[in-house]
Amino acid sequence: MNKTSTLYLARMLLASGMLAVLCGCWNIKDINHRALPIAMGLEETGDELQIYLLIPFNDKNKQNTVIVSESGNTINEIIDRINKNIEMQIDLLHLKIIVFERSIAEQGLNDSIASFMRAGDVSAKTIVTITDQNLKLLFERMKSSTMEEGIGIYNFFEKNAGWSPHLAQTRIWHVFRSAHSHTKDVPVPLINPGHTTALASTGSAVLRHGKMVGKITSDETLMFNAFAGAGSQGKIEVMDHAAVLIVGDTLTHRASFEGNTPVLNSKLTLKVTIIETKGSPTATLIKQELEELWTYRYQQMFRKIQSVHADILGLGQLFRSKLSMDRLDRWRDEYYPRLKFNLKVKAVIQNEGLLKMKE
Amino acid sequence: MELLEQLRSRQRQDSDMFIHRFSLVHYPVTLVGAASLIDLPQTMKLLQLQAQNIVTSEQPLLALSGGIGEFISQDDIPQVIEAISEGKLIIVPDNADPCVKLTPISRTLSRSIEAPITENVLRGGISAFIEDLDTNIGILKKQTISDRLRVHTYWLGSKQRRKATLLYIDGVVNGSFLQRLQRAIESHQTKDVPDLQALNAMLGFTKWALVTRFNTTELPDSASYALGQGKVVMFLDRLPFALILPSVVVDMFASDNDRSYPSFFMYAIRLLRIIGLLTNMLMPGLYVALVSVNPDVLRIEIAMSIAGSRVGVPYPAMVETILLLVILELILEASIRLPKSIGPTITMVGGIILGEAVVEARLVSNVLIIILAATTIASFTVIGFHNAISIRISKYLILILSSIFGVLGLFAGMVVISAYLASITSFGIPYLSSSRVKEQSDG
Amino acid sequence: MDKSLQVIVVYLLTHVGLIFFMYPTDIIETLEAGHWIAVLLGFAIHIALLTVYLRGLKYGAPNNIIDIFKDVGRWFAMVILFPVALYFTMMIIITVRAYSEIVTLIFLDSTPLWAIMALILFVSSLMAMYGVESIFRTGLLVALLFSPALLLVFSLAFQNVEFLYWFPMIDERSATFSYVFSKPYLLSFFAFTGGFLFLGFIPSYIPYKPRKVLIASTALLPLFLISVYVPLLTFGPSAASALQFPFISAVDTVNVSWLMFDRVTLFFLLSLVGFSMIFLSLVIWKTSLLVRSAFKFMSHIVTVLAITAVIFLICLYIPDWQSVERLLWWNTILRLYVMFVIPITTLAVGLLRHRKGANLT
Repeated sequence: MNKTSTLYLARMLLASGMLAVLCGCWNIKDINHRALPIAMGLEETGDELQIYLLIPFNDKNKQNTVIVSESGNTINEIIDRINKNIEMQIDLLHLKIIVFERSIAEQGLNDSIASFMRAGDVSAKTIVTITDQNLKLLFERMKSSTMEEGIGIYNFFEKNAGWSPHLAQTRIWHVFRSAHSHTKDVPVPLINPGHTTALASTGSAVLRHGKMVGKITSDETLMFNAFAGAGSQGKIEVMDHAAVLIVGDTLTHRASFEGNTPVLNSKLTLKVTIIETKGSPTATLIKQELEELWTYRYQQMFRKIQSVHADILGLGQLFRSKLSMDRLDRWRDEYYPRLKFNLKVKAVIQNEGLLKMKE
Repeated sequence: MELLEQLRSRQRQDSDMFIHRFSLVHYPVTLVGAASLIDLPQTMKLLQLQAQNIVTSEQPLLALSGGIGEFISQDDIPQVIEAISEGKLIIVPDNADPCVKLTPISRTLSRSIEAPITENVLRGGISAFIEDLDTNIGILKKQTISDRLRVHTYWLGSKQRRKATLLYIDGVVNGSFLQRLQRAIESHQTKDVPDLQALNAMLGFTKWALVTRFNTTELPDSASYALGQGKVVMFLDRLPFALILPSVVVDMFASDNDRSYPSFFMYAIRLLRIIGLLTNMLMPGLYVALVSVNPDVLRIEIAMSIAGSRVGVPYPAMVETILLLVILELILEASIRLPKSIGPTITMVGGIILGEAVVEARLVSNVLIIILAATTIASFTVIGFHNAISIRISKYLILILSSIFGVLGLFAGMVVISAYLASITSFGIPYLSSSRVKEQSDG
Repeated sequence: MDKSLQVIVVYLLTHVGLIFFMYPTDIIETLEAGHWIAVLLGFAIHIALLTVYLRGLKYGAPNNIIDIFKDVGRWFAMVILFPVALYFTMMIIITVRAYSEIVTLIFLDSTPLWAIMALILFVSSLMAMYGVESIFRTGLLVALLFSPALLLVFSLAFQNVEFLYWFPMIDERSATFSYVFSKPYLLSFFAFTGGFLFLGFIPSYIPYKPRKVLIASTALLPLFLISVYVPLLTFGPSAASALQFPFISAVDTVNVSWLMFDRVTLFFLLSLVGFSMIFLSLVIWKTSLLVRSAFKFMSHIVTVLAITAVIFLICLYIPDWQSVERLLWWNTILRLYVMFVIPITTLAVGLLRHRKGANLT
């Protein structure tokens, strides 16, 4: 039994060593002693940063939300200060939305995003948004008209909840990726306080290398989502003679080089069903109208973003197989402004609803 | 007569012993035995019947003995005493011939075959083993009709003797395991075995093991199935269950009773038991880890509702969990001993106290009660009460590790328990082997 | 009895535990494009060495590697195997320190490092004390328990992948293999060598068929490719090279709305730490075997305890991540020795014996 008793002794020694460890339960902080903010807003006041935090409370099955704000020089310093003055510990783990004010966005988000990615205490899946109105007002709106106990705010952006294809869905890691990428930029949703709802989306901001350089409208954001494959289902398009519901879209590309000019031929097939008609138009007329509308919109949007050298559609990705790495470096400034983008839109009417219609 | 003198003096210490003059065919003899173990009138009738068949001769007792018993010399007093305490009848002739020891008609001191108490059977036989060793062997033999069934009997102990029997099926059993088992028994035959812990020690297993080395079952079906799988069945006299060695981890989930159902259901039910086992071990630790140390793993809605349920609770989650677990263990332990008349009352009181009042008084959170109720129920989905106890203990280890290290502690606890289970072997068969312990299997 | 299944499982386990942390960082740092060539090259070297090693072991069967070398000569064995023991010790130190740091970084930020190191060492040394057969059984059980989580995370990891980032497929640097002697690439061999040396130490305790192990090792290639390409395809090569732990960050971006847990990364990470505990226990056992073959009087348990205590003390003295990286670099030199010399020597010894045996008959 020698082996067993030595083994036993060894285990007892180790176990008693562990008991000493037990005295320090370092990381224990019960969940009801943590404040878990779900939205954070950043704006610049003079030389300093001002941060707003939207914190939901749960007090005996009653939901409350609280707005806390502080100013300082860097994000972490401000969080620290808030921690000093609040009876719980702030934990940024469940942060769902970050709202930047427009002026910060125009100076460049790269540093803030990099610090979030480095520290790891903010999840990389947090949605990034920009607002061009008063941040304080926005937070007040979020707090007062919160559906679903204050955490409903992020359902605004969730695909299986309140998201609609008008909204770009950009997370921190998307911005991080585009900050380092040669060929991809991102649009960031612009939100403002709504009239009767908590939030209203007024289009998207175009970020180039982390700096805001322009704006696109909601419709154009829809174009972007359809292009990016994020889906355009459920969107209703209104034209002169009819309104249709988009049920699906498919996109094919062909990228080539003509001399030194990159050329992209793409075909977008839209599948729609007709839901409203004005008068009695024919199916061909509706299809024509739809195709013209979309082609026009795409051209508009593309011109806009090409002029600011921001490649949010990710067209550069399609040319990665054709260019070497060092030339890809100069995609945004050299090749992209010269890109010829030929988009053909084809509409397919899947069905006409429960009423018949003329061909 | 020296023998009779000795016996009479012994009778003064042991009034249970009777010394009865009897006339066997017209030869006077003395019958000695224990009155509580022997049915004397029936035995005397039997003797008369047998004696009538004896042809009168000079040495009738010798002729008698040839048929019904064995000889013990009158000088061999210890053997006589031993025979008496075993319940045999001693016939002492008046002359100096050796006495005869024979097996009399004994009193019925065991109950009849009834349904099992600790096991529930849904689709199988419900005769259970009883205390009498020979009846048990008989029941098992009726279940396993095989010409390769071997039976070995041992008398264990010196101060308190006990009969033990080993059964196995030749050709199916694992040879080396059987050899080592038999060697262990034979080398420690003089150790007393009043209970299972002593049996454990006699076989050489460590007494600090978290896992029982033998499976117990009250059902002959299970015992017979185990025999077919190459295991060894041991019976101890006066223990109404069969001990099956070696025990393997699969016994926790797989009972032979499952085979009464179609295969698909059998696998589904086994999977359910495994889930029950994991739930029991991991839930309390997971709760403490997710609530105290790593709340970023939970979704925000759950986090909010748990936080809300814990408002006002004065101590951290770990203390709360251990407190409630101890109370649940107390209830479980008490309910084993409750007489049937008080049972329902206590259940109601316990339910009301724990369920409502403790949450209202803000002593524990209601989410925790749900979790621990699920845990306790899950601990009984495994087969065998002894197994349920082992897993109930291991969840405390995981709980403590989780409260210090969070989810890392949970995983580390799982690894530690797996390592511990992996290190247990019974005579060369590891605990973590599959159910077939046949010839070549070695883990 | 053929326990090949256990050996295969432990072999795969130990590699999985090592690959997903440091390997992607090193490969992404080596090249800008055409990473698949680097991965394939590394894998080819691994398979070649494995084949040589197993061949050599077959000639020396059923002895384990210590006995094979001792047959040639006691001093020969000591000279060859001493660096191996040193390598093992350094490997344990680096692994324990690095993993504790990673755990602290990612989720347990206020628990002091020594507590986490103590936990990992405690579990590993406990398993090592129980003996090698028990380690393998534990490996099988732990693999069964943790694989559902792992498989779930693997399938979810592809949620955010954009295949266009694969291009450009190849560039000048990768095509000419000019990176082979660069520091990050040599560091990447960390993921290869840890796992196969144990095959030489176990023959007398655990019988297995070498061919099955070879076939199973091809299952590793997809894992290596996944570990490098998931972060590359999610973030793009330029962003991925800015990340310290690309695979972990890539899995962090996955959004699962139907699970009750928010951060699936954690379970993945912890399964890997669990696997690496098994790996560490195997290495501790091997080291104990080596030490005991030199100093015959020590018992297994005392040796394991001594090794663990020494390692713990050394780990306490390593102050920061930079030192860990420096240690990793120094160990690379030892690793290259161990990686090439041991299998070739085993085969050489085996061939010599074989020929000598053939000459005698």
